Amino acid sequence: MSERSLVTIAAAIRTRRMSPVEAVGSCLDRVRRLDKRMRAFICLDESGALGAAKALEADAAAGRWRGPLHGVPVAFKDLCHLEGLPTSCGTKTAEYFISSQECTAARRLLDAGAISLGKLNMTELAMGPYGDNAHHGDVDNPWRAGHCAGGSSSGSGAGVAAGFFLGALGTDTGGSIRLPAACCGIVGLKPTYGRVSRAGAMPLSWSMDHIGPMAWTVRDVAILLQVIAGRDRADETSSRHAVPDYLARLEEGVAGLRVGIPEGYFFQGVDAEIAAGVRQTGRLLEELGAHVSEVKVPDPQTILDIAMVITRSEASTLHARIARERPHELQPMVRARLEVGFGISAYDYLQALRLRARLTRSFIRDVFAEVDVLLTPTIPEPAPARAPLKALSADEFNVRAGNFSRLTRPFNAYGLPALSVPSGQSKLGLPLAFQLVGRPFDEALLLRVGHAYQEAASWHHQRPALG
Amino acid sequence: MSERQPRQAELAHLAGVIARLAGELALAEEPACFVAALEDGAAKAPEEDR
Repeated sequence: MSERSLVTIAAAIRTRRMSPVEAVGSCLDRVRRLDKRMRAFICLDESGALGAAKALEADAAAGRWRGPLHGVPVAFKDLCHLEGLPTSCGTKTAEYFISSQECTAARRLLDAGAISLGKLNMTELAMGPYGDNAHHGDVDNPWRAGHCAGGSSSGSGAGVAAGFFLGALGTDTGGSIRLPAACCGIVGLKPTYGRVSRAGAMPLSWSMDHIGPMAWTVRDVAILLQVIAGRDRADETSSRHAVPDYLARLEEGVAGLRVGIPEGYFFQGVDAEIAAGVRQTGRLLEELGAHVSEVKVPDPQTILDIAMVITRSEASTLHARIARERPHELQPMVRARLEVGFGISAYDYLQALRLRARLTRSFIRDVFAEVDVLLTPTIPEPAPARAPLKALSADEFNVRAGNFSRLTRPFNAYGLPALSVPSGQSKLGLPLAFQLVGRPFDEALLLRVGHAYQEAASWHHQRPALG
Repeated sequence: MSERQPRQAELAHLAGVIARLAGELALAEEPACFVAALEDGAAKAPEEDR
């Protein structure tokens, strides 16, 4: 079970070779054995999951199929509001995020037949790229104990990689889906801004927040995206852009596609194994028929500074109450970030929003005139060991954290779709990964390229040895 | 160095970036142009109303 993908489990249930109760039971057994080490869950909902599995089993016996995820165990980052379960958002407060609106993306998965195992660990208030959490425990890396799982959707990344469930939702304001996906050796997709409704999920920065799927394979992620994408009246920022069939062209390959590797910023200070892995990926895509070349992109530092003004302002606005009334409950690095936001003027915030619009338009026009897809590293180094990070001061930690997410954050600012795909292992046995970035609403093309890579490279058949 | 100094330095840096770039903006450039940039930058597809 732990070595199968969402697609194979869904097919086994559909053909009655496995029941939803068996699927959930197998996952729960694994969680009970291994989550003391992994710390992927904040709230494990065993009774809810088993109840749902029995209902879905009865439906299956009667020939009633709820959707493509009938009986498939999944779990949700603990900032997704679901009725009946608390939403801590990684804070000390059990019910930090109170909402009358259920998380639309989570609800769509459940309505398609998925079974929720519960709510997943995350960095406090989704602030931070490593997956550390002083209140709920640091999520461990399934490939190497004592190393970071990546964050902020740390439980989502580690839980998929550990075989606790077949798919998960994460959120991504500066890399929080792609970083844990890269650190844990799974696939993570940050869709285009507005592609997936943000309703019912704790906001960190309404201009930069994205919800997206995480799973073992690109095909699994495509299936999850198919279910959650699309307009939602509960989120006015969700797009009316039509949702394509993400599986229809998945097998079409990469022949003739223009893949651009932006040198400079995206490789400066990047670990040698990571950089070599990305270039090896470029060579493989070339062998598969793509035209791979270097491409110049606008200096990301400008958009990163503008994004910093926006995210810090919005995060401090949204989380002012806990920052001002109960600052002692927050981890020092989270408190430090919120304090910066209080010092930004309305003038700077609004100018930053205007500049973001201009820079996004010019980036799309200039870069995608040259290439169809960008290929970059996702992380600048393999998942680092946690102990040395713990020794840093809050400000030192935030500088290091900013560097760790510097390859993903530009694409939150531009709102572009970005897919992280695993591409092998470092000498220490930690996952390597690359990032694909495309035009707005062109998730289908990223999935096609990522799938072609996975089929050719086959790294996705390797799993961590957890027992 | 006190803990506040890095934050003051970060704020000053960010304000400096905005001051340097904002003068290039035309009056009609509003925040909502961001969503328009995404929609205009996509391959054309029909709208939906789910």
